[in-house]
Amino acid sequence: MEDYDVRSAASILASVKEQEARFEQLTRALEEERRNVNLQLERANLPPNPPTSQPLPWQQVVMQEQSPSNATSLAMMQEPQEVVEETVTIEEDPGTPTSHVSVVTSDDGTTRRTETKVTKMVKTVTTRTVRQVPLGPDGLPLPEGTSPLGSYTDSIDRRYLKNGSDRFITPQATSTLTRSYNNSYNDSYGETPESQYIRHYGLHDGYTDLTDNYGSLSRGVNYRPPRYPYMPNSYRPENSYTLPIRKDDYGHVAQPQVPMGSSTVDLNRSQPERFQPEPYGLEDDRRSLGPEEEEPYELEPDYSTANRRTLPGANRGRTHREPLRDGPRVRGYPDDPIEAELIDERHPYIHGMYSAPLAQPERGSMASLDRMGGRRSPSIDSIRKDPRWRDPDLPEVIAMLGHPIDPVKSNAAAYLQHLCYENDKIKKDVRQLKGIPVLVGLLDHPKSEVHRKACGALRNISYGKDNDNKVAIKNCDGIPALIRLLRKTNDMEVRELITGTLWNLSSYEPLKMVIINHGLQTLTNEVIIPHSGWEHEPNEDSKPRDAEWTTVFKNTSGCLRNVSSDGAEARRRLRECEGLVDALLHALQSAVGKKDMDNKSVENCVCIMRNLSYHVHKEVPGAEKYQDPSALQAPGSAGPQRKKKDDAGCFGGKKAKGRKNGENDKSYDTLDLPKRTEPSKGFELLYQPEVVRLYLSLLTESQNYNTLEAAAGALQNLSAGQWTWSSYIRATVRKEKGLPILVELLRSDSDKVVRAVAIALRNLSIDRRNKDLIGSYAMRDLVSNLPSGQQRPAKNLEEDTVVAILNTIHEIVTDSSENARSLIQAQAIEKLVAINRTSQSARETKAASHVLQTVWSYKELRNALAKDGWNKSHFQLTVTATPKATKNGKPGYDDTTLPLMEKNQGTRKCGSGDMIPMDELGPDGYSTIDQRDKDCKYKTGDGSVDLTEREPLKNDTNRKHYIRSNRPAVSLVDACDVKPQPVDSWV
Amino acid sequence: MSFVPGQPVTAVVERVEIQKLRQGENLILGFSIGGGIDQDPGQNPFSEDKSDKGIYVTRISPKGPADLAGLKMGDKIMQVNGWDMTMVTHDQARKKLTKKREDVVRLLVTRKSLEEAVKHSKCSYPKH
Repeated sequence: MEDYDVRSAASILASVKEQEARFEQLTRALEEERRNVNLQLERANLPPNPPTSQPLPWQQVVMQEQSPSNATSLAMMQEPQEVVEETVTIEEDPGTPTSHVSVVTSDDGTTRRTETKVTKMVKTVTTRTVRQVPLGPDGLPLPEGTSPLGSYTDSIDRRYLKNGSDRFITPQATSTLTRSYNNSYNDSYGETPESQYIRHYGLHDGYTDLTDNYGSLSRGVNYRPPRYPYMPNSYRPENSYTLPIRKDDYGHVAQPQVPMGSSTVDLNRSQPERFQPEPYGLEDDRRSLGPEEEEPYELEPDYSTANRRTLPGANRGRTHREPLRDGPRVRGYPDDPIEAELIDERHPYIHGMYSAPLAQPERGSMASLDRMGGRRSPSIDSIRKDPRWRDPDLPEVIAMLGHPIDPVKSNAAAYLQHLCYENDKIKKDVRQLKGIPVLVGLLDHPKSEVHRKACGALRNISYGKDNDNKVAIKNCDGIPALIRLLRKTNDMEVRELITGTLWNLSSYEPLKMVIINHGLQTLTNEVIIPHSGWEHEPNEDSKPRDAEWTTVFKNTSGCLRNVSSDGAEARRRLRECEGLVDALLHALQSAVGKKDMDNKSVENCVCIMRNLSYHVHKEVPGAEKYQDPSALQAPGSAGPQRKKKDDAGCFGGKKAKGRKNGENDKSYDTLDLPKRTEPSKGFELLYQPEVVRLYLSLLTESQNYNTLEAAAGALQNLSAGQWTWSSYIRATVRKEKGLPILVELLRSDSDKVVRAVAIALRNLSIDRRNKDLIGSYAMRDLVSNLPSGQQRPAKNLEEDTVVAILNTIHEIVTDSSENARSLIQAQAIEKLVAINRTSQSARETKAASHVLQTVWSYKELRNALAKDGWNKSHFQLTVTATPKATKNGKPGYDDTTLPLMEKNQGTRKCGSGDMIPMDELGPDGYSTIDQRDKDCKYKTGDGSVDLTEREPLKNDTNRKHYIRSNRPAVSLVDACDVKPQPVDSWV
Repeated sequence: MSFVPGQPVTAVVERVEIQKLRQGENLILGFSIGGGIDQDPGQNPFSEDKSDKGIYVTRISPKGPADLAGLKMGDKIMQVNGWDMTMVTHDQARKKLTKKREDVVRLLVTRKSLEEAVKHSKCSYPKH
């Protein structure tokens, strides 16, 4: 969505202007180019080999970006790329997975993300495309030193990238680059082009394939000189590594003919005139030239043309779409990179297969001009016109995956990645042509270039709604292959691709367990733990490290987030995965410490924690020991049992017995946290009271709705159920002043946050003291979320949310006439009656009527109700209600209160036997609470006690003040703390 | 911010100058501090090193003097008007901050983001 913003009209305008300016520049550059080319051609003809070969003057980096959008502003350009990259990882996985994992995510959001991601992918390709091409044509001779320079440059770029990768490239960086380039170039081009180029360069390096693009360039430069001597063509040395190089390489290595052909080809294709000397360089050059020339179109066109055509419309379509997402990206045109890659592929292909076609020598220059005038990718057209060229079709590309020459393989894979981008049809075709097993097989290829490209293709293929593609990857043992590669490689980009692919795969239910089986521990050990900053045995001398929110971490946490929703067994495996919970917790604490809580990685981590906290009281080994005795007793003797419960558990023995619940809680607070002899670790950390502070910090600080929802959901899960730890958690939330934080979030604009918080409050009110506090101080906020009559409140909450709030209210007023009185005072009856009578939702009607019936059951309140004009009929089930409910198919009970997550899981999991027995519950069904517990509660009806206790706390002004100032609301907090709170002095 | 006893502490600090705001008879800075050598450092949510007994900014009143001056929650106060704050009791720190006759306090504070900013600028190759 950010993309959309970026795209705003202003930026579009700006980009148009820039484009215009660029065109002008391009035109000029073209002219110059032509001149140069002519010169070179002449030269080439005269002294064919010797002159050009090594001395090749130019190295140009190809700019991909230029063509498409003509990046307007530096910022724009850079940003898009960055965005893109990030997006990429996120996109695929997040889209579906996110939604799956956390109920919260909306499909729309997902979809968008996905697309964005796609864009990224394209961009990535683009990055690769960038290469340095030696430019002979300009006539500016580059010293041989060029190549070294090139590499040097690379390093510089990268640094900058890293530094400013997120932001803009710093001017310095630019300058540096420029300089280095200048050496090679002789400043043939205006600064503008260079700077752009540089930017691209930087971006590419930083993000995508530092190694690849740059590496290739530098390598090419460096290596070549040595190679060239052998080569027949004198020109090559100059050539940059990239595409052109590859051709050369191929030619050299594999195909003897290539040299000759390549030279011709190059000439023909790219711009024979210019590049004669450098065979492969030519193609690259073109690109590079194009960009440099600032002919965005041209560059791409030449390259792209061929490639693009091949990609039937895929590129185009993408390109077009992309613009929508990211203005900048468009400029950056994925096409360029793609094209470049394509070209590479072609070259080999072409050379090998076809007799060297005559290139369209002029096209480079001429065509470019035309194109420039016309569309963006005119070059493509020009290329197309040439009947001699054609793109390999899909079977051919797939066949090339098995080509004996590695660069052919990698180019084919890269091409596939490009083709598959946002093109479900192609993905399907690749699958049906049995391309996926081949790609998976390439994952084990020793050459990084090959397995990287294969992984990139798999990531694209695995993305999207077509689960058959995911299954196909799994069926040829792609998941273990990915994991193997993850263990093997240290290349960050490859790791991003692997984890991105796994994230995509993890969105499909049947694959979740497979991923867990093959990859859980590896993902944890290789990514989660190291990036979280957590250390098994912290060295006392070293300070704890912070989490690094890398793309790899984001992808991996997204993957685990998805698989963590796969049911009880998945949860068990994750909980018992050594170091996982520790690391996640450490990462989250680090996020809190750094106040960096809005990012996707944090969201993923919290969601995992939330999911792992689900049913923790039933599923954790040894949980029986902690079951609350009262829960095990018959639900008849509520009062006494409650007390017991409060001080129960293994640690409860010493607790003082209070006569009243409130007292119990108090004493409980002061005494009862279990003393641990050794620090807890692993899954125990999930439910230690210490996590409460963490979640509350997230709830206080995070702006990310998904994170807020997940944190509230975690508290909800932890406070559910009847075991010792949940009562600790409930008390700890109060003690840590969490209730006001939660209540405040009832005012959130986000539906799902309100819902999660409401349900959490409901579970927390199992604790009697919490119930009293919530009843006194949260009632108005709860009620204000209810629709009044026909009109929805400003927030217009969803049905689920309204029902959740009603159920929470019901829980709060149950067994507490004082809370029911608060409800009446909050003007809730009118709303409840209105809902009961007029709501279109059977579930809302039902939930409201339960509240009303409960309120009516307090005889002592009836006078007050009567004064307000209510009578018994208002509190009875309306005639319509029943039919409505029946219509809805849920006559007996209401399960709306199920936490989202549970619902989600319930529906998604196969065999959700582990789900909470919502169905059995009564209308108020707590999802997470056992029925017994409820019964107990119902019976516990010492409202008077509550009153007395509550009195001192009631202090509305106080409370409001607190909430407003975002300080802990004293009134909602128990006065007694186990330990004296740290002194905190206002100054 | 952890340190080895006997070794000088090195920290990236930011200078924050806060103009106190007069409210009636009181001069207020608009933030609260926690920590001190007489406090339980384990309860300090902001310290990285849980044995750090330094003085930390625990809360900031929005739009208050400290907020306007750029002080952030979680900042560790190293000095107040030149006085060391890394080895003082809570009350000593409070008194240094609340001297009636001083209208301005100059703080040296350090925070995580500062260190990181410096780290980034030093090494151009942050690990990814």
